[in-house]
Amino acid sequence: MRVVNALAVPLLLVGVWWLVSGGSFYLPSPGRVAAAFAETWFSERVLTDVLPSLARLAAGYTLAGVIGVGLGVAIGLSSGLRAAAEPVLEFFRAVPPPVLVPLIMLFAGIDNAMKVAVIVSGCVWPILLNTVEGVRAIDEVLADTCKLYGVRLRHLVLRSASPQIMAGLRQALSIGIILMVISEMFASSSGLGFTIVLFQRGFQIAEMWSGIVLLGLIGWGLSLVFRMVEKRVLAWYHRA
Amino acid sequence: MLELIDLTKTYQGRGRTVTALDRLSLQVDAGELVCVVGPSGCGKTTLLRCVAGLLPYEGQVRVAGRPVTGPPEHTAVVFQEYGRSLFPWLTVRQNVELPLKEKGLDRARRTELVTESLEAVGLAGAHDAHPWQLSGGMQQRVAIARAVAYEPSLLLMDEPFAAVDAQTRADLEDLILRLWQRLEMTVLFITHDIDEAVYLGRRVIVLSASPTTVLEDLKIDLPAERDQLTTRSLPRFAELRGHVYAQIQRTKQ
Ligand SMILES: Nc1ncnc2c1ncn2[C@@H]1O[C@H](COP(=O)(O)OP(=O)(O)OP(=O)(O)O)[C@@H](O)[C@H]1O
Ligand SMILES: [Mg+2]
Repeated sequence: MRVVNALAVPLLLVGVWWLVSGGSFYLPSPGRVAAAFAETWFSERVLTDVLPSLARLAAGYTLAGVIGVGLGVAIGLSSGLRAAAEPVLEFFRAVPPPVLVPLIMLFAGIDNAMKVAVIVSGCVWPILLNTVEGVRAIDEVLADTCKLYGVRLRHLVLRSASPQIMAGLRQALSIGIILMVISEMFASSSGLGFTIVLFQRGFQIAEMWSGIVLLGLIGWGLSLVFRMVEKRVLAWYHRA
Repeated sequence: MLELIDLTKTYQGRGRTVTALDRLSLQVDAGELVCVVGPSGCGKTTLLRCVAGLLPYEGQVRVAGRPVTGPPEHTAVVFQEYGRSLFPWLTVRQNVELPLKEKGLDRARRTELVTESLEAVGLAGAHDAHPWQLSGGMQQRVAIARAVAYEPSLLLMDEPFAAVDAQTRADLEDLILRLWQRLEMTVLFITHDIDEAVYLGRRVIVLSASPTTVLEDLKIDLPAERDQLTTRSLPRFAELRGHVYAQIQRTKQ
């Protein structure tokens, strides 16, 4: 029953797609896109385009996580730092990350470093701001208990702030995927975003669509993995 | 063991300044069990937090001869907000064990202390539960178990039995008396229950209403061996209780 429920809406959508697509050039039928998918992505493109994209995403996301959590803990613990940093943080959070791409290109060129830098520049803010919030919300009595028994701060701070940190990481993941694609659309010779633009310019419409489907699948898979990790890390929080 | 000289604590709020403690002086010898009673809001928790090194203060506070600037060594506290003092991501056993780990005890000794203290508070079956799976009274007993497992030389308790039923409360009172005698620790016990103060205390400190000072330092001349039934039915017990009651009534005027 659950399987049926889970499949009902996707099947319905594919059905509607199939009905609407009849003969349109810009919207090929599901069958054609599926064929293009197999042909395009079950090939060495996995190595030349998909994996490099994912590797850059992983690098950027991890880096953003380390920077965001590290700075977030420092800012959250110090009211002086917070007063100084908060307006600036809100400003940077408000800047839409894609507009930073041309800017970062100036500094970091057009290679891997630029793309990773773009991903970091977008992902770091939600992680940072949520971490600050989580650290600030640490229970006072629990903090006193730690001081009293000499329990190291590390134990308290990261665990206590983990619900907010995870929320930040979740937001950052979707931002990261978007930026992974956008950074490759600007100036690139490989990657998913690059390939999709290439297909579009070459009027390989079914192939272009298959790239979009692949991106959707990647996003869905990553959020599934994320949810599994989150469930383990926050088991105490969700049941409390 | 514990010396307070002219302890003063003023909270500065926006437009509101509260003098919670006003030149309060108090001495507790090593190995004494002293109960503190006073009207609600008079500054009992404030007093305890100053002694625990968790609040800045004016005046002098010394524990074992050393001025208190941060949490003193070998000191355990059971907070009034006991539920919030437990780590929600740890099990009951881990909650009790964590301070012992930080103290550097080896595994065998830790297991022994954890098992012993949880059994003493009647939670032998709850080792693997998380705090949020327990009732308020059970959480309070975990906090007590954690404090006694730590084997402190100074134990500070802030209304530790407020959330348990009468029978459990009597059991826990006797547990504290037993542990106090066995471990030779100094206990500062805050309560709003006059009966409890007279039953447990070798001395009862009555605090005045805010701005708070010591209204009376009363020696409890009951037999050293306390027993829920016989001690509480002594005429002297009733006298002392009546005396403390009258004092507290006076603070309200
Ligand atoms: N963090 C704070 N900021 C400002 N005022 C405070 C703060 N904590 C306590 N006070 C004030 O200090 C006074 C004493 O508070 P305290 O909590 O020590 O009382 P208490 O005797 O423990 O009361 P109760 O019996 O209800 O627990 C109160 O008037 C309270 O409003
Ligand atoms: Mg209080």
